[in-house]
Parts: sequence; C-alpha cells; structure tokens
Amino acid sequence: MASKTQKKPKTEDVPDVEMKDTEAQKPQFEIDALTIEDIKDHIGIIEKSVVNKEPRFVLRVLRQLASTRKRLNDAVLNQLTKTYVSDSYEFKANLLSFFPSADSKDEKPHARSVLTEIYIHLLGLISLLDNNRLNDSIPCAQALINRVMSVNKPAMHLLGARCFFYYSRAFEMTGRLHEARTLLHGRLRTSTLRHDSEGQAMLLNLLLRNYIHYNLYEQAEKLISKTTFPENANNNESARYLFYLGKIKATQLDYSEAFKNLNQAIRKAPQNAAIGFKQAATKLLVVVQLLLGEVPERHIFRDQHLRLSLQPYLQLTQAVLAGDLAKFSSVLERYSDKFMKEGTLTLINRLRHNVIKTGIKSVALSYSRISLADVAEKLQLDSPEDAEYIIAKAIHDGVIEATIDHEKGYMQSNDSANIYGTNEPLKAYHERIRFCLDIHNHSIKAMRFPPKSYNDNLEDAQKQREREQQDLEYAKEIAEEEDDGML
Amino acid sequence: MSKLQETVDIYKKLKAEWSKRPCDLNKCGGYLSTLKVSLTQLSFLPTSNTSASTPELILARDILELGAQWSILKKDIPSFERYMAQLKCYYFDFSGSLAESPFTYQLLGLNLLCLLSQNRVAEFHTELELLPPKEIHNNIYIKHPIALEQYLMEGSYNKVFLARFNVPAESYLFFIDILLDTIREQIASCMSSSYTTVTVAEATKLLFYDNQSKTKQFAEKHGWQGDGKVFRFSKTDKGDDRCVPIATVTQHLLEYAKELEMIV
Repeated sequence: MASKTQKKPKTEDVPDVEMKDTEAQKPQFEIDALTIEDIKDHIGIIEKSVVNKEPRFVLRVLRQLASTRKRLNDAVLNQLTKTYVSDSYEFKANLLSFFPSADSKDEKPHARSVLTEIYIHLLGLISLLDNNRLNDSIPCAQALINRVMSVNKPAMHLLGARCFFYYSRAFEMTGRLHEARTLLHGRLRTSTLRHDSEGQAMLLNLLLRNYIHYNLYEQAEKLISKTTFPENANNNESARYLFYLGKIKATQLDYSEAFKNLNQAIRKAPQNAAIGFKQAATKLLVVVQLLLGEVPERHIFRDQHLRLSLQPYLQLTQAVLAGDLAKFSSVLERYSDKFMKEGTLTLINRLRHNVIKTGIKSVALSYSRISLADVAEKLQLDSPEDAEYIIAKAIHDGVIEATIDHEKGYMQSNDSANIYGTNEPLKAYHERIRFCLDIHNHSIKAMRFPPKSYNDNLEDAQKQREREQQDLEYAKEIAEEEDDGML
Repeated sequence: MSKLQETVDIYKKLKAEWSKRPCDLNKCGGYLSTLKVSLTQLSFLPTSNTSASTPELILARDILELGAQWSILKKDIPSFERYMAQLKCYYFDFSGSLAESPFTYQLLGLNLLCLLSQNRVAEFHTELELLPPKEIHNNIYIKHPIALEQYLMEGSYNKVFLARFNVPAESYLFFIDILLDTIREQIASCMSSSYTTVTVAEATKLLFYDNQSKTKQFAEKHGWQGDGKVFRFSKTDKGDDRCVPIATVTQHLLEYAKELEMIV
C-alpha cells in the first residue's frame, strides 16, 4: 500500500502539461508545479514511514532537502500550506502571511499526520532563512519547535533533529545564539530519555557549537565529560562532534588527542562535498600538527579545494620548519586578521617556541661546538643569556643532545644516537598498525544490514532486478546529497 | 530597598577602611563576610528568573572586587579563586547591561597569573579564549601574563625575572614571586641535565639569588654534588633503551593477532 501513496501524485502530472498555453509565465509555473509534485512525493514517503513505523524513509526525504530548498518560493509554500496543513495547526495563519501568493488554489486541507505539517513548517523556516528574513524566522522557529516537542514518535526523531538544527541556525544568524541554549539543554535531556540518538547527536553538536561560538571552552569541556555521544549517530554528525572535540582539546593543550580527533573528523566528512568543513578542520589540523612538532604532509596543501585557503598555513609551516623566527613573525603579522577570523590565532601564537626549538635543533645538528652568542644571533634571540636558558630547557626536554659549558660560553653537541637502535621505530610502526585497524573496525561498524533478512528465501529474478535498480537510485541520491547537513 | 541601603553603608565602611594605608586586613575581612551574608538577601546570585537591578549588581561586583584584592593581600589563593569565579559571571554574562568596571582587566590578568603560577596551563588558555582579542593585544594587564607564559614555554627564564620589575600593578608581585620559585625548580632540573660543572657563583646568578648561601641551601635540597666552589652533575646513563621491551612487544603482537582473527 505504501507504493500506492507514492504513485498517486504522478497521475496528476496532466494539469501541468495543459498549462502550456500561457507562454510567458510557463517556466516559473512549471517549475513550481514540479516542485510541488516532488514535495508531494516526499509527503507520501513521510506518511508511509508513519504508517509503517519505519523512520528510515524519512531519511530519504531529508537527504533531498538540499535540492528541495533551492527550489522553494512563496508561491510553492503558500500552496503547500493550504493543501497540507490543517486549520487546527496554530501557526498556519502566520505561515500563510509569511508566504503570500495571489493565485493559489484554495483547497480544503487533506487530513495528514503531524509529521507532514512539521515538514512543511520546516520548509517554510528554511525558506525564511535562505531569503534572509531573519525577523520572521525566530517566531517561525519557536512555533516549529513547540510543535516538534509535543510529538514522540520514532519517525519524528530524524525530522526533529533537523528542525533543531534550523532553530539554532535562526538564532545564530540573528546573533542571539545564547538565547537558544536553555531550550537545547532541555531537549537534550528529553531525547536522551527517549533514546532518540539522532536528536541527541544533533543537540550535542548544537550545544558545543553554541559554547564554542562564545569561546566557552570550559563549559563545552564539562558538557562532553558529562555526556556520551551516541554511537549509531550518522557520519556527518560524528564528524562534526569530532571536530568540536578536537578544537576543545587543542585549546586545552592536549594536542595528540586533538590531532586524533581532527584526523578522524576529516576522514568521516563526506568525500566530495562539505568543502568548508574540511577546510576548517584541515587548518586546525595543520596547526595542531605543528604544535606537536610534526610536519604536515605536503599533499594536504596540494588538494585543489584546499590549496587556496591553506596558503597562509603553508607559509606558516615553512617558517616553523626553517626555525626562522623573523619569517614566522612576518607571516603572523600579515595574516593575523585571517587567523583571528578562523579562530586559530591563539593556537598559532603558541607555535613561537616550536619555531625556536626547530632552530636550536638544526644548530645543534650542524655545529659540534658553537658559542652561545652565535646561537643567539642565529635564532634572533635578544641575548646570549636568553640563549643559554633556552638551550638548557631544550636539552632538558630532550629536543637536543648537548652540554653547555657555562664558563667558556659554548654549547657542545653530543653524537646523535642512531634512532634505529632505539624503540622509536617500534612505536611509529605500532601507531600506524593501530590506525589501520581502527579504520577497518570503524568501517565495519558503519555498515548497515537489513534486519533479519538472513532468514528470507532468495528473491526471484524479477524482484532482484527491481531491488538492484532501487539500490542504485539510493546510492546516487546518497552520493549527491550527503553534503546537505554539513555547513 | 532598605536592605540595599544597609549593605551600601557597610560597603562604605569597608571602603574607608580599605583606603587607609596601612589598612587593617582582619577588620576588612570581617566587613567582607558580613557583606557577603547581606548580599545573599539581595540579588547576589542572579538566576534567570529574577531580573536584578543595576545598582544591586554594581554593588555586588564592587564588593567582590575588593574581596579579590583583599585575598591577595592576605595571600589566600583559594579565597581569591572563589572571588574570581563569582566575579567572572559579572564580567562576562552581564557585559551587556553593566558598565565595565575599571578593575576588570587587572583582576582578570591576576587570575591568569594565578593559574600560571600554579602551572595550570590548560586552564590558563581556556580563560584566555574568553577575552576579546583586542584586549589580549593591547591591554597591559593582560599582555603581561601572556608574555610571561611565552617566556616560560621558550625557556627565557631571565626575561621572567626581569618582568618582575615592570609589573602593571602591585598585586601582581605576589604571584610572580610564587612563579619565580617554580621557575627555580625548573632551572635547577635544566641545569642538572645540561651542565657538567658550574661554579657556585655562576649558579647563584643563574638561579637569581642574591647571595651564595641561599644557592648552597638550594643545592643541598636538590642533592647536588660539589666541593664548595663547583657543583658537578653526573650524567645518568639511559642504557635500557637498547634492550627489547618484551612485555610491550608481546602485548602488541597479541593485539594484532586478535584483530587479524576478526578480519579473516
């Protein structure tokens, strides 16, 4: 029966064809009509998911949200509201006033489930945000959330999560993000109690984003330590969560943890899309890697999507690698506004002593004995006394192997030990194997299997062909639309 | 309203006592604890439901600021941290409705220094993120602890020592002195790993002591070997690096075997 609801709209294609006689208006009319047809399809799917209690169907609709939102306009939304939102829906009048339309048919609304109404409402909110009608968007978002909160159905979870995202977005765009915090906290509690992992994942991310927006890293850290991120959350959400986690850890000087998180975040992000997200994550990753004293791989900077935006970071890396304090300062000065905007400036400021360390390292490698005054000059330090303390600290931290002769004022390098004689290669090798195994385990966990299908008999050839066809369609959709959630 | 008036009266007494030089710290402490009690009857800890009036908030903030400064004079760090935790909500959460207090950045800078002197670097950076970037670069109260942190990370210890002479406010000295003690410990461990010998006179200079007897006391505490004129540091060999760490290797191999079994 589910397929029937889906097919029904297609028979209504006829009126569109007839409209062709009014030449000038034809394209817009036709596009709108097609849009409405598509959304009708979506509504069919949503209804189906409510009837079958199968939340997965809603996911299909949400996946297409990115392409749907581009085609929304006042006329479409007006028509949809009139057709599908029942008169008892409190916000209907407001929705109609937001999207005035002169020539829409007055229809008696069909009886539909709450989910359909919420979906239309959500489309309305998205359209308001896209058209920058921020003043209208806040009441619209609040009404939407009130409605979402009153429904507790498994099919609601996915849709609800998306509603919260746009709710928070509406507040963010109006610069009132902190006002959304209380409600999000309350909702997180509710969705945890309802085992709504989609909502939990989304709300946690929204809260973290909220805190980080105001630089409240302490609160963000506490939130993370008090909550667990649901394991079966979708990839986009976990990528986002890992990114925030990495950012918080980097601020708190836990660079190796931050590095791990950011690396995974980039891996989990969609392959061909979400360029903005990948840029932000990679920028942070490069800085964290430099802070760890590692060298970011050259190919990161060559990626065609990242190359331009990573340019300042490439220069920064070069300065750190050369141990050239003057160059480092000049890069920092030139791009400080950019770094500040991207939120990496404070991290980059901490890089200064890494520059000095690499400088000392190269001096120690190239000279077996050098006077402290010369070191100070080479590294552009203020005085030989500074150099002495800095070298002493470097020796203490194990950066270089050397001794200082205080009376005669020179530094004597020891013979460097053969690194292959130590346990270092073992450690590095172990690290890599660990990483590969992790990837393998994660990808196995990420696979989904249809429930209980192993009992079923083999399907006949006809059915198999149909199913394969459908699978292909799904795969195409997923590939096209996966970027939608990533801003 | 009368309650507010009462509190203001005690606050005025406290203020008068505070501005005397030298002031009676114990008397101030007494006033402060009475004030704190009476503040709870005003809107001292504002929650979202009550909207506190601006004069009440300002009064509470001024009292807390005095309290924080008083704790420094009393050399009571936990009490200082308590006052700061309460003050922070006035500084950040009410920044929209309250005019900025002249002490804001001095106290926030002090708080940074306090964290630094206890080597709580992660918290130091978290606090730093809260401050507007403009102040980080221009405000002398904030710039000072940030510069100190950088010197510490680099190892420019003598710059930290020099920074003692150009503190932005007198109260900073208290924490800088704590910091210097921490630094001496660090210098000492750096010295023992990077020098083979050093004369007592030089060691005194390196450790920022003004006379040699203090250096000798310090050396005794750290168990440095010396003949009265020269300290000698013997290099301990890290020879065990050469042998194979059997336990770890076995553990790794078992782990790999388990994982491979799951894959195949």
